[in-house]
Amino acid sequence: MTLTATIAAIDEYLPAAKLSNQELSAQFPDWPPEKILEKTGIELRGVAGPDECASDLGFAAARKLFERGVVRPEEIDFLLFCSQAPDYILPTTACLLQERLGLPTTCGALDLNLGCSGFVYGLSLAKGLIESNGLRNVLLITADTYSKFIHPLDKSVRTVFGDGAAATLIRAVESDQPALGPFEFGSDGRGAQHLIVPAGGFRQPRSAATALEQGDSSGNVRSADHLYMNGPEIMQFTLKNIPPLCQKLAARAGIALDQVDYFVFHQASAYMLETLRKKIRIAPEKFSVCLRDVGNTVSSTIPISLKRDWSRGAIKSGNLIMLVGFGVGYSWAATLCRIHSGEL
Amino acid sequence: MQAFVEEMAEILGVAPADLVPDFKLADGAWDSLAIVSTIASVDEHFNVIVEARALGDCETFANILALAKQGA
Repeated sequence: MTLTATIAAIDEYLPAAKLSNQELSAQFPDWPPEKILEKTGIELRGVAGPDECASDLGFAAARKLFERGVVRPEEIDFLLFCSQAPDYILPTTACLLQERLGLPTTCGALDLNLGCSGFVYGLSLAKGLIESNGLRNVLLITADTYSKFIHPLDKSVRTVFGDGAAATLIRAVESDQPALGPFEFGSDGRGAQHLIVPAGGFRQPRSAATALEQGDSSGNVRSADHLYMNGPEIMQFTLKNIPPLCQKLAARAGIALDQVDYFVFHQASAYMLETLRKKIRIAPEKFSVCLRDVGNTVSSTIPISLKRDWSRGAIKSGNLIMLVGFGVGYSWAATLCRIHSGEL
Repeated sequence: MQAFVEEMAEILGVAPADLVPDFKLADGAWDSLAIVSTIASVDEHFNVIVEARALGDCETFANILALAKQGA
């Protein structure tokens, strides 16, 4: 028997404030609530408060894990914090969370700046730490507050993204059967310009010039300080790269895609998910669609879906599950996992 | 082909009978959301992933058909 990493527990946290399709429709009269729901699959999105940071959402998700007794703070060996909304330029937000969550000072802490692929990358790091370095409990927190980057008059992104967080416990178990992996990764920086907040880093600091607002041909308004998403380019990237990624992972694992019991893809939008599902020929009952009351929560969509699909019985103990993350970067990653747990 | 025309008519918000090759995309609901849907639709019906930028340059329905057939 060897030590193998497994997903042992997940909790989510969403901010109390919500943005509904009715509110969006009042602002964008050309888009009635039913059209927004049809195109995005989303009815409600969480919106972080003015003083609520991604780390606050992640803190609340991790507290839920501790409060239900799956693990104690002092048992955490390593904290991974995946977010694109850090508290500060420095220090590392994971170090702040180590102290706030009462984790031991022997605990490693690391930030990952990744978006929609981040959860799968985090799982790969957790697996490495457990199986190569003998750690027992790795806490992976994913959290983002994209609403703070979004211009109120940009419906192309405001209808899609929701703020939220998930805390996932990856635990070492004695087993001869791997419960996580193999992994496939990919990156293509040529796509950086298509999903970006252009200003605010050191390449282009915020200024009066970057705050200048402009309209686009679809009637959206934004400045260089805001999130920009080129939807057509993202769709082209996804259709080109994600179906081969799934095939490559299955081939590496020595299985056919139809041997996978359940698929949890990054919940980009219902339209993109349905396009991918049909292209890869996955049966609807084996495919997660879980964004109606949360929106696209960036790196938290996969753990939130996993937890909810497990809780409603769509995923059963021992099922072979494919997890696929893709988006900003461009960055993508996929893995296989089996979860053996009474309560995730 | 008929299924593709019907889908494109729905995307553009026009009647299928009106979607002749010379149809000017600017006369329909041709925005970035429509371009996203067209990329998916061309892929489904022609098994071709058209370039987003080339699609954005299209002015008529015939231009879209040419892109789809060029890649097929």
